[in-house]
Amino acid sequence: MTDTTARRARHRRKRSVFPLVNAVAMILLMFVTLYPVINTVAISFNDGTDAVRGGIGLWPRQFSIKSYETIFSDEIIFNAFFITVSRTAIQTILNVVLTSMLAYALSRREYVLRKFITTVFVLTMYVNAGLIPNYLLLQRTLGLGKSFWVYIIPTMLSCFNMIITRTYILGLPDALVESARIDGAGDFYLFWKIIFPLCLPVLATVALFVAVGAWNSWFDTHLYNASKVHLHTLQYLLKMKLATTTNSANAALTSADAAASTTNTTPITIRSAITVVSAAPIVVIYPFLQRYFVVGLNVGSVKG
Amino acid sequence: MRKLVSLILTLVMLATMAAIPAMAESAQDPITVSVFIGEARDQPTSDNKIFKMIEEEFGLKFEFEFLAGDLDETLGVKIAGQDYADLMDGGNSAEKLISAGALIDLMPYISEEKTPNIYAYIQPYLKRLLNNDGQLFIIPNYGRYYNTEEYGMNYVNGPAFFLQKKVLAWAGYPVIKTMDEYFQLIEDYVAANPTNDKGQANEGFAILCDSWRAFCLFNPVQHLMGRPNDGDVIVDISNNYKTEAYVIQDYAKPYYKKLNELYHKGLISQDTFVMNYDQYIAKLSSGTVVGMFDQSWDFNNATDALKAAEMFDSTYQGLPIVYTAEEAGKEITEHYLNGTVINVNRGFGISVNCQYPERLVQFMEKMLNDDWQKIVWWGIEGEDYYMENGRFMRTYDQIQNATNAVWRNANSAYVLTNSMPKKQGQMDDGNKWDPLVQPECYFLQMNDYDKDFLSHYNMQRPLDFFNDPITIAPYGEAWQIDATVNQDANDAKAAFQDTERKMLPQVIMCDEAEFDAKWQEFVDAVNAIPVSDFVDFMQEQILELVAKNS
Amino acid sequence: MRSAYATDVTVTKNTLHIKPVSFWKRLWLQRQLALMSVPMLLYIFLFNYSPLWGWITAFMDYNPATPLFENEWVGMKNFIWLFGKPEFIRAIRNTFAMAAINLVFGFVFPILLALFLNEIRTIHFKRTVQTVTYLPHFLSWVIVVGIAQTIFSSDGAVNQLLLSLGLVKNPVFFLGEGKYFWWLVGVINLWKECGWNTIIYLAAMAAIDPALYEAAQMDGAGRFKKMFHITLPGIKSTFVVLLVMNIGYLMEAGFEIQYLMGQNVVMDWSQTIDIFALKYGITKGQYSRAIAAGIFKSLVSIALMLSANFAAKRLGEDTLL
Repeated sequence: MTDTTARRARHRRKRSVFPLVNAVAMILLMFVTLYPVINTVAISFNDGTDAVRGGIGLWPRQFSIKSYETIFSDEIIFNAFFITVSRTAIQTILNVVLTSMLAYALSRREYVLRKFITTVFVLTMYVNAGLIPNYLLLQRTLGLGKSFWVYIIPTMLSCFNMIITRTYILGLPDALVESARIDGAGDFYLFWKIIFPLCLPVLATVALFVAVGAWNSWFDTHLYNASKVHLHTLQYLLKMKLATTTNSANAALTSADAAASTTNTTPITIRSAITVVSAAPIVVIYPFLQRYFVVGLNVGSVKG
Repeated sequence: MRKLVSLILTLVMLATMAAIPAMAESAQDPITVSVFIGEARDQPTSDNKIFKMIEEEFGLKFEFEFLAGDLDETLGVKIAGQDYADLMDGGNSAEKLISAGALIDLMPYISEEKTPNIYAYIQPYLKRLLNNDGQLFIIPNYGRYYNTEEYGMNYVNGPAFFLQKKVLAWAGYPVIKTMDEYFQLIEDYVAANPTNDKGQANEGFAILCDSWRAFCLFNPVQHLMGRPNDGDVIVDISNNYKTEAYVIQDYAKPYYKKLNELYHKGLISQDTFVMNYDQYIAKLSSGTVVGMFDQSWDFNNATDALKAAEMFDSTYQGLPIVYTAEEAGKEITEHYLNGTVINVNRGFGISVNCQYPERLVQFMEKMLNDDWQKIVWWGIEGEDYYMENGRFMRTYDQIQNATNAVWRNANSAYVLTNSMPKKQGQMDDGNKWDPLVQPECYFLQMNDYDKDFLSHYNMQRPLDFFNDPITIAPYGEAWQIDATVNQDANDAKAAFQDTERKMLPQVIMCDEAEFDAKWQEFVDAVNAIPVSDFVDFMQEQILELVAKNS
Repeated sequence: MRSAYATDVTVTKNTLHIKPVSFWKRLWLQRQLALMSVPMLLYIFLFNYSPLWGWITAFMDYNPATPLFENEWVGMKNFIWLFGKPEFIRAIRNTFAMAAINLVFGFVFPILLALFLNEIRTIHFKRTVQTVTYLPHFLSWVIVVGIAQTIFSSDGAVNQLLLSLGLVKNPVFFLGEGKYFWWLVGVINLWKECGWNTIIYLAAMAAIDPALYEAAQMDGAGRFKKMFHITLPGIKSTFVVLLVMNIGYLMEAGFEIQYLMGQNVVMDWSQTIDIFALKYGITKGQYSRAIAAGIFKSLVSIALMLSANFAAKRLGEDTLL
């Protein structure tokens, strides 16, 4: 009797201390991760020439929106934004559907091709043909260059995401599938009606990974669509903007170039502003995906 | 018989091949020219005023591809895919395009009758420009000076030992010529002024070692020896162009010995060897770095920042420091500045994929007319410059505009003309082609502090600290020689650069007593590469260029 | 027990285990699964395997300007050259060391963070912490390395802290001495990616049946007991799969961070295989060497991954393959 009370008391004490310790630790962690982020924002709103002197903390020293003006002065930036949003949306949807479908098939232990296909997919994570053969395939063999499709077609599947999803599906209670199957349900039905809704947490993760990757990619634009202004993506444009600023900052050998240093923008502030411009939309969208894996999903109730 | 048939077939093929482009070119109907530029640039705006004029006159529109990634990687991919734009500017790797056969020979399109401007442009340099088969693949974009022998600039854009102007003022405006004088002044100044006027500690001498910018660490030796920038090697023009890697020679030792002393006196901090470029610029901009060796263009941002903060006395003056006869083992004459020379293999080439080479050559030809050159350099009269007593002038705002990227996107065809042949030097009426060289514009920008500073030396321009430029050697500038064509030379060069970047800081930071041993260790490591694979290749190339150009 | 031929359970329910079903028969019965996966198999063959012809250029003196088969065959020359270079051997060592540090840090800390996040009961606080900790993922390496170089410089925050605590007498030369480099990379990577890597585990935890926690609560299980007996087993399969996968990535230590932070003086510790391949390969037009280095990396990676997979299987885990 007294023993139990004592244990319970110990329990209560533990319970009351841990959340506090945990909260303090989390606040410290937030400070450590947040400081550089705010620092970057502060630099982006600082005068460029002043910023090269360094030492900016959490607030701009000489406030200026020149860097943002420079970025948005490009008349093609809104078109580029549209292209990026489109490719991100299409790529994300395709990936989520195809990845989860494949993951479902490869999660069925009875599937005869399971092992073979899984192995083939997993190995792709460790082999890379190199830049030139890939370029020749897309540009020459498939003729995807100078088109929007080069953003979509080569990027419809990711092995890593498929494996994550498959592992997740394997963790779901078997009874879900088995009982439906006894009722005569086919695999497409099982996948779409039963597994897919249960996969929301992991698919939110996959969607986030794919969307962030798509949003940040610039290399395919650089290789295949650099000469087509109307197909430029946002990140490509920002990358170019940064390179231009860097170039003219340490301008080359001719007097014409030496004069090219731009007024009041420097690589440091442009780099920061670019980071803010490219990360902001993701940070805004993030909470909508986040609730799937932070709040959790009541598998039990679905099962019932 | 068979021979005859094949001959006829060949003739027919040649005729059609010649005829098709000729037909396509004869029409002046509007065409879109694709352009690749091996450098990052902003796209011009769609209503750019100069491009509008070009379109009206020539019927040409341009579709630009600028470079956001790595140049060599991108060119490698383009070469593998044979994917070339009509006009290709391969930047510093243009030789790759030539050796891959991506560019056509332009000489068939150039002659005194057909293209008088271009002919006159290349004529004085034909020997340098044509390869051994008499072909020309790229029309140079810069370096052809008309009507003048003068150096093309008013300031030093290149290498020098730099010193804060206030240090020279503090010492009573002395003339500093030798390494000892230079470092002694730094030492004295820091001893007398341990901090700057904001209370931040002064740092005697900074050495930027961030990746490729590590030239600040080893290039000084060649300049101390009275040679211009030849990259990793030094060339003895008085001794049959004998080429050697200078950092491992005996004459390099006094310099690093000196740095070692400075390090132990606390005038060089250990952080200098690990700071990145941004940190370096931040340090210079804070006005705490007394001196450094660098090239002026490498710290433009810092100069701008100092001026913006009105710390004019902390901006830098370049000094042409050389060794004494004792240090060098021979008498040294200063040679920091090379005379101007045409920019071989830099500029536009026309690719094998281009359907209308004739028309593009003619375009470049017409753009070399004086009227167009005025537009290229100065812009539109009344908008971008004004005339006063026959002189080309700009207001302060107009000068500022020309340096503003956003303004230029709408008002200049710079992205295109930068790669095209241009006139430099003087117009026939004595005005300068380049607005920055026009004295009226140059002095309009100069601040009062600088004017006063220079007046103490009885000088007008920062450039006057230097000897007059010396006619460039027949091999050009050796840093431009591409070693990638020879695998062994290339490997040796990479290993050599790694070794010097890695070990020279160790040499500078070692105990004074160990200096000689550490130095020997460094020399042995470089010789063990063997660096001779690289040096011998350079020697061979230099002799070849000399044979061709002199 | 799971049935071996679940698809045909309804069809051959009574004959199960009696009549062996042929491969093609089974495939026909599983045609819906095949429809879901075989097109993607073809897709992956086209986009990931067909360009592998490029690997033969490792045995050539490849020049992209020359048609493929007109390049000179050089046998194993490029491989021999690589392994004759002490710099390459050092690059392998550095890659391995940094990848191993990243592997350990990359598992321990995100899982800890996920566990602690999972303990936060205030949902808004939980979401805030999670959002803030993943933000550094979006900073580019240039920015992150720039900040790190300031913090770890001789007069940077870390040295000032160490000095004021009296732990060191002189500032530590973090950025200039090779022995610190690997750990710096590990710490910086951790800082940048920890929050981001947590997401996968949070997703796995989200799938754990809340009824399990309720039942444990009834039994009087404490916080840590639940952590060890419910949460951790709940994410075990994700953990094992990621571990096996990442053991295969032990030849991959990143590129940019070393490239940006590895100043010349610490070159011997900072240069990874990728940097080496760039330096002596691609930028010098020596594509064959870069491909050779890539093949070597791939083979080692696959061997590592398969061994890890085998080991996990022996331990009775559901694993990658």
